[in-house]
Amino acid sequence: MVELAQDRALPRARSSARDWLLPYLLSLPSLLVTIGILIPFGTAVYYSMERYNLAFPAGRQFIWFGNYISLFGDPGFWNTLQVSLLYTLLCVGIQLLLGLGIALLLVRRTWFNDVMSVLLILPLMVAPAIASLMWKLMTNPSFGILSYLLTLVGVERFPWASSPDTALFTVVLVDTWVYTPFITILLLAGLRALPKQPFEAAELDGVPQSFVFFRITLPMLMPYILTAGLFRMLEAIQQFDIIYAMTQGGPGDTLMVFQIQAYLSAFTYTNIGRSAAVLMVLWAITFLLSNLVIKRWLKLRERRHGNA
Amino acid sequence: MSKRVDDLFDAHLSKKLGRRELANRAARLGLGGVAAGYLLNAAGTRALAAGSFDWKAHQGTTVRLLLNKHPYTDAMINNLDNFKELTGMDVVYDVFPEDVYFDKVTAALSSRSSQYDAFMTGAYQTWQYGPAGWLRDVNEWIGDPSKTADTYNWDDLLPNLRASTAWSGVPGEALGGSGAKQWAVPWGFELNSISYNRRMFDAAGVTPPENMEDLMEKAAKLTSGDVYGIGARGTRSWATIHPGYLSGFTNFGARDFVVEDGNLKAAMNSPEGKKFTQMWIEMLQKSGPRNWTTYTWYEVGNDLGAGASAMIYDADILGYFQNRGTKEAGNIGYAAFAPNPEAEQPTPNVWIWSLGLSAFSEQPDAGWHFIQWATGTEHTTFGATQADLVNPVRQSVWNNADFQARLKKDYPGYLEQYQQSSDGSKIYFTPQPLFFNLTTEWAASLQKMHANQVSVDEGLDQLAESVNQQLRNAGIAQ
Amino acid sequence: MIVKAVRAVLLALVALFFLFPIFWVLLMSVMTNQDILRSPPSLIFEPTLENYVALISGQLDTSVGTLEVAYMRNLMNSLILGVGSVLLSLLLGVPAAYAFARFRFRLGENIAFTLLSFRFAPPLLVLLPLLFYFQQLGLYDTYFGLIWVYQLITLPLILWIVRGYFEDISEDIEHAYRLDGHSWLATFLRIAIPLARPGIAAAALLAFIFAWNNFIFALILGSSDVQPVTVGALAFITASGINYGQIAAALVLSVVPTLILALFAQRYLVEGLSLGAVKG
Repeated sequence: MVELAQDRALPRARSSARDWLLPYLLSLPSLLVTIGILIPFGTAVYYSMERYNLAFPAGRQFIWFGNYISLFGDPGFWNTLQVSLLYTLLCVGIQLLLGLGIALLLVRRTWFNDVMSVLLILPLMVAPAIASLMWKLMTNPSFGILSYLLTLVGVERFPWASSPDTALFTVVLVDTWVYTPFITILLLAGLRALPKQPFEAAELDGVPQSFVFFRITLPMLMPYILTAGLFRMLEAIQQFDIIYAMTQGGPGDTLMVFQIQAYLSAFTYTNIGRSAAVLMVLWAITFLLSNLVIKRWLKLRERRHGNA
Repeated sequence: MSKRVDDLFDAHLSKKLGRRELANRAARLGLGGVAAGYLLNAAGTRALAAGSFDWKAHQGTTVRLLLNKHPYTDAMINNLDNFKELTGMDVVYDVFPEDVYFDKVTAALSSRSSQYDAFMTGAYQTWQYGPAGWLRDVNEWIGDPSKTADTYNWDDLLPNLRASTAWSGVPGEALGGSGAKQWAVPWGFELNSISYNRRMFDAAGVTPPENMEDLMEKAAKLTSGDVYGIGARGTRSWATIHPGYLSGFTNFGARDFVVEDGNLKAAMNSPEGKKFTQMWIEMLQKSGPRNWTTYTWYEVGNDLGAGASAMIYDADILGYFQNRGTKEAGNIGYAAFAPNPEAEQPTPNVWIWSLGLSAFSEQPDAGWHFIQWATGTEHTTFGATQADLVNPVRQSVWNNADFQARLKKDYPGYLEQYQQSSDGSKIYFTPQPLFFNLTTEWAASLQKMHANQVSVDEGLDQLAESVNQQLRNAGIAQ
Repeated sequence: MIVKAVRAVLLALVALFFLFPIFWVLLMSVMTNQDILRSPPSLIFEPTLENYVALISGQLDTSVGTLEVAYMRNLMNSLILGVGSVLLSLLLGVPAAYAFARFRFRLGENIAFTLLSFRFAPPLLVLLPLLFYFQQLGLYDTYFGLIWVYQLITLPLILWIVRGYFEDISEDIEHAYRLDGHSWLATFLRIAIPLARPGIAAAALLAFIFAWNNFIFALILGSSDVQPVTVGALAFITASGINYGQIAAALVLSVVPTLILALFAQRYLVEGLSLGAVKG
């Protein structure tokens, strides 16, 4: 199937030196412009192998994997890993389902749906750090409109972000409010780009709606879902703004995700070595997870093109 | 400005004219309150310039500052023209919001950038910045008559504050002890007392609390409906530990560390520490803010100002700010507070916004010119009487009749609160570079106690153990 | 009938959840701080424009003098950074996306993945070393330097989303057009790009939003002269209190440019439908 796809690629039609060069000419500028980031990245990798606290300049020393070893021996680290993964799973899962649902509701082009699909992007346009500030006010027990509305329906003293029992729920709620529109936009554009024929054929044959959805819509939409999910995952596992603004990682250690752990290490404790090690672990996890998603994405693509 | 106006203010400054008489005559010349204040300080500036010190030594240079968006900064900017006129220097400043300010400082200084000559810092932060080599010891300038004006009067700065911003760099050694380096110069500060809603107190027939048990009782009594009794900060941050909590903790004789055989040892789990912490958590559970673990400076203040809380045990200036432009404006009262019935006096821990001289500045003398002006008598008097540079760090400003009159008029009880608290007001933390690790963990531990995830005794024991471990890892203790 | 009713109810719930907080912020932006801080919250208040006036005029009158508000400057910075980064990313990313979608070439997937992987590095990780190099290279406190860093956010997003769209467009039309004797460039500009326009619009809009919402890079890598709205809005939180009314107004103002852009892009976003006709 791969060979088939290659045969169909355009440049094969007229093979010349220029055509051979073309894809490189198109793609390398992107790489050249951004490759410079590897230099500070390399420096950061080096930091992660140093005992390096800004407040103890005399103690700076290369210690190989010392920071990582002490990290893995710290129960706080395993808590962080667990919280970060759980947070990511909840956010990506809930938002994909919700985002897909909303995209399906809005897919038909009516005047109302067009207006709604722009208005629904609004939460995404509010910077998460400031959105969280507003949510913190709205959930304040004295002045918060949401706390007040809850009392009207009989829920008194809902603790929102302040209790270990409801803190995760609250930050996932805010994250969902902010980022679901991201998924909706991508899937809506994807849905509207789907070819019509299969749906028309299914309608003529009187195939039930649920069958159409699971057997036609969903598989065809899958590359879009994966792309949206991938970027959402990259953001969620590196979440900082929302959690920091709402709880600073508390109460207790309830929401000590990677970025907060690393932020505190670097900027509050001035421990650059440890912070870099935490972030390297985060980088590695992100790398692995993304790789999985992209493999799947490429496979889908091959199948698509093979069948096309 | 006209010569007549200038003469009028100069006469006031040389005590020929009383304040009321000055005000009358100024009004006749058509000057309102704020304008008169600015001019008063312009007169002060002329008085400075008339001294023997060469204020123009750095004429033509530009001083660059890194500042936090704060009423102290606003006050300084409002008076900056006088500095420029006095010195012939220019000033450029980078102002960043408080929320991100220290991130910016850490980043700028860790890159050893020479872009700032002087910057705002807290006293606790100097325990990192000093040992990191980012700050200069300003003793070198204060002691040099060619660099510091004879009118600067260093000794006029409150002794406890001077000591609290000086440290030898040896973990555990007393602040301001022998060999201490003056890492920063105090600019404005806050101490921790009770600020309360007089309206609510009167309605409930309650007087300000006398001690911890009394506080707990009254807080419970004042908690009803939408109002809760006592506000305090509670986020997972060092800022939760240093106000009321550490002040009360100290008053009961508890300490964060003891030095044993020249070694720092965590001591927050002493019987006194456990006793006070037990009361603190109980009080917050019963009469504190419902979402206590998300409460920062801002929420604590908002609630007092909007009448959602009856009192706070926090920074006195937090209560000061809430007495203006809020729903409860004019209703806020102030009271000194010694939680331990056996204590001789209140022991408020303090936060000190200070000015530090960057080690990477290429023109430290010019930077010092600015710092000595900003912390000098003229500007701090201007700030305290015409803006919000409170609490002032100079004794002479506290003695200033205009400042006292301003407090009496708009903030009744504030001056008395200060006078009863000031002797015992200083930093009660043991200086050591892991200050932020310790206090952040301490706050997390209090949050767990508040949620009943761990008992107070257990929580403090675990905290002490963890802190000792970290001290050993960092090579601070054996 | 029932389906229609369920659909309407669901849409109403969705609108409520996503738009109520926006509505509330809009209300707060015309309230005084005293009205906002009322317990319980109330809808009875006298609307005021003072928050907007303070932000737009740059002057905030307080009882202790007039303060300067730099918010419009922040807004301008955000615009420069957002538009600059997205334009650069489109210029670089769209051709690259086309290359990855249309050609199988040696190391192609590796290059694509490497470009994406620049997004894996948490900003905090590279921030301090980056600051150091920026100061060495004179990039500190420049729009140029910041727009370059923003490529880490915007380029992978544009590249991978647009690539997906190119993949979905049939190659036959391009093929036919080229056989007609048109150059590769003409084919790319006249056929491929117009067909992928919904995807490009969606990607550009999202990239713009993410650039707009970032604040850690500008905070650390620039002076207060280049700070975007995300940092600027925090200036209303000071020791003397949070001014929620001004933050709400700042938030509303900060949303306006993106909203305009979204309305403009909307036309392209919904055009996707017509695409079905040309697909294989």
